[in-house]
Amino acid sequence: MKGKPELDALYNLLLGFSVALSPANLFWCFVGVFLGTIVGILPGLGPPATIAMLLPLTFKLDHTTAIIMLAGIYYGAKYGGSTTSILLNVPGESASVVTCLDGYQMARQGRAGAALGIAAISSFIAGTVGVLGLMLVAPPLARFALKFAPPEYFALMALGLAMVVFLAGKSMLKALLALLVGLWFATVGTDLFSAQSRFTFGRFELLDGIDFIVASIGIFAVGEVLANLETRGGTELFKISGRLKSLLPTLEEIKACRFAFVNGSLVGFIIGVLPGAGSTISSFISYGLEKAVSKHPEKFGTGVIEGVAAPEGANNSDTCGSLVPLLTLGIPGSNTTAILLAALILWGFRPGPLLIQDNPTLFWGLVASMYIGNVMLLILNLPLVPLFAQILRVPYYVLYPAILGVSIVGAYSVSSSLFDVWMLGFFGLLGYGMRKLDFPAAPLVLGLVLGDGMERALRQSLMMSQGDLSILVTRPLSVTMLLLTLVIILMPLLRTVKQWRLKTAGEEA
Amino acid sequence: MERSIYSLSAIFFVLAFAAPLSAQSFKPTKPIEGVVHTGPGGGSDILARAIAEMMDKEKLLPQRLQVVNKSGGNSATAMAYLAEKKGETHTIGFFTGVWVTNPLTTLEAKVMINDLTPMVRLVLEPAVVAVKADSPYKNMKDLVEAAKKSPGQLKQSGGSVTGRDNLVRLVIQKATGAKWVYVSFPSGGERIANLLGGHVQLMVIEPQEAGEHIKAGNLRVIAALTEKRLPSFPDVPTLNEQGIDVPVIPQARGVVAPPAVPKEVVQYWEGVFDRFTNTASWKKYLEQNQFEDGYLKGPGLNKFFVGLTEQMREVLKEAGAKVVR
Repeated sequence: MKGKPELDALYNLLLGFSVALSPANLFWCFVGVFLGTIVGILPGLGPPATIAMLLPLTFKLDHTTAIIMLAGIYYGAKYGGSTTSILLNVPGESASVVTCLDGYQMARQGRAGAALGIAAISSFIAGTVGVLGLMLVAPPLARFALKFAPPEYFALMALGLAMVVFLAGKSMLKALLALLVGLWFATVGTDLFSAQSRFTFGRFELLDGIDFIVASIGIFAVGEVLANLETRGGTELFKISGRLKSLLPTLEEIKACRFAFVNGSLVGFIIGVLPGAGSTISSFISYGLEKAVSKHPEKFGTGVIEGVAAPEGANNSDTCGSLVPLLTLGIPGSNTTAILLAALILWGFRPGPLLIQDNPTLFWGLVASMYIGNVMLLILNLPLVPLFAQILRVPYYVLYPAILGVSIVGAYSVSSSLFDVWMLGFFGLLGYGMRKLDFPAAPLVLGLVLGDGMERALRQSLMMSQGDLSILVTRPLSVTMLLLTLVIILMPLLRTVKQWRLKTAGEEA
Repeated sequence: MERSIYSLSAIFFVLAFAAPLSAQSFKPTKPIEGVVHTGPGGGSDILARAIAEMMDKEKLLPQRLQVVNKSGGNSATAMAYLAEKKGETHTIGFFTGVWVTNPLTTLEAKVMINDLTPMVRLVLEPAVVAVKADSPYKNMKDLVEAAKKSPGQLKQSGGSVTGRDNLVRLVIQKATGAKWVYVSFPSGGERIANLLGGHVQLMVIEPQEAGEHIKAGNLRVIAALTEKRLPSFPDVPTLNEQGIDVPVIPQARGVVAPPAVPKEVVQYWEGVFDRFTNTASWKKYLEQNQFEDGYLKGPGLNKFFVGLTEQMREVLKEAGAKVVR
């Protein structure tokens, strides 16, 4: 095993493929990604619950086979998650919320097939890049992740929050107001540092805070259905093209997504490695980055294909990133990796810094299976695209009740609680009201997803520095991200100044 | 026709009497609901699923034990759910220390552990104090002295402020007069990442979790938070051995039932767990996870709950936490 490191990687990968290509492992890899796709499509039911349910089955399997299958569920779900986001405006997974913004608009313009297609292609590319990263740079990257302490997380969350600049519609003021409401909703629940409850109105159901997926299904899907109820009569909402050709993205569209592929792959993977971040944040940041570098940023939110490609890529390479601390250090960064860790312990492994060294077939078999699994997912998902796109042919009087039904089942299945269904109703009405008053929904959701982590990171930082705020700006990583945040916030301001100067210059001439 | 009605009523007659007869020796007739307060992947969830799996393997239950996640409210949701199932014979819950502390500090968490029916205590999770391998602190004395010299400079990563890791800090601070900061992180992954990254200096950790990092040379263990030294760390002295005279704060896990469950049901489960805790699978599981066998049932368990509630109330009050019950 000693030799040139490149040769080692090659040798190990060959070892991995010899494991992953055995008929049993191929079969269970397929079972995993197939189940994952289904779980991704069903809103509410996520990979952690599915993996937990299937855990008893894995005791009868070989351990490598079992981890191949369970990981397949994890990354497979990210493929399926975009489906309901695009078709029904119902986010299938929390990481697919951003996909609603442009994906659903594309569907309304009759481009559902293209949106679903690009989601699958982008997922495939980012998933593969992610596996490459997992294979080549896992240990150094895990050490990099350890440099992230609360001040760095605060700066990262601030950077994420600055993305509101890119999510604002016509009015920045309305976007900021929506963001503030989102941040307020994020404070509901038990405060980690004092064990006191905030804004729970005496309801124990609120002690854990407002569930992000319930809120976003309410605001996006239920709000959309309510708003559309007003347009009575037979107005056709979705343009459906009969030709199969338009059901998939065109070559130009795929070319337009070149940067989105790179962006999604890298942003997703790097943020995925950080144990305290989460895939929803990576999808927001990659969406913001995509809009920032775009030649036509004003079109985002109206059905731009890059707006689907970037977040869908990010939430896929994120899964590979989150396997890095799990497999190299035994540190789980998400619910799903926590249960994978538990599975490893139950099977008799000792996850930790020595896992890869002690169990090369497990690690390399998994890595190789992920290359294969991503190909399987692409082959599995592309033919489904035309099929799924047909759903929108259903008349609206059937489609809307169906969306409501899917939303209610989704909200209920998050934690099998009827209270969440009432919350869904509340957020549905809120989403409807926001549409009527022309408030953008995305900033609220952004505030809700980041608020908790950002407050926590700030308070943790201040505890560490005994109340000294300079801890945020005296650490190189954190100050870099904070400066970047400042640039992003100032960008729209600079643009206004530039326009004003152009205007006055024009008047003078 | 009339005859069939007679025979039917005869059957009902028999059934009506058979029911109380069979109640004397209760046996589950439908799948059993095992309520846990964490989501999939949480500590209780993992233990419950492992137990369900072993029960199945050892064929100790005539019906399946199905794990149901009632997460939320730091255990309040699961406890409220069990309280609602008053008298229900096919539901059990997997408790842990937070079921005792949470109602003490949270107004909304109205159900207390002694409102439920105690069944068995299964494990005591031992814990150790870990520092980074390159840390200057070789034992508790070094740590306490450093903390005394510059109060508030040392940091400990952990979970909720009502969790065991913080309570341990509070009792040590009180006994020694040292002061250091407790930084809460919601996920176990972040806690250990901050220790490994050198952003905090110590952590209360389970031996199983620490084991691999010690082997890899990342961490060092400086004290065992148990009555006796741990078999896996024979060279690591307990707090008492190091001259810090504090009570051991146990992290217990086990099983409770809804309120007002018939005695036969409790007896049935005690019988099942008597057999279960003697199986090879369970013993192997304890060893793998480096848990202490904490098997306790009946009046002993009742006494344990009462004592623990009192101890927790005292520790929390002294720490300045708002105790509401």
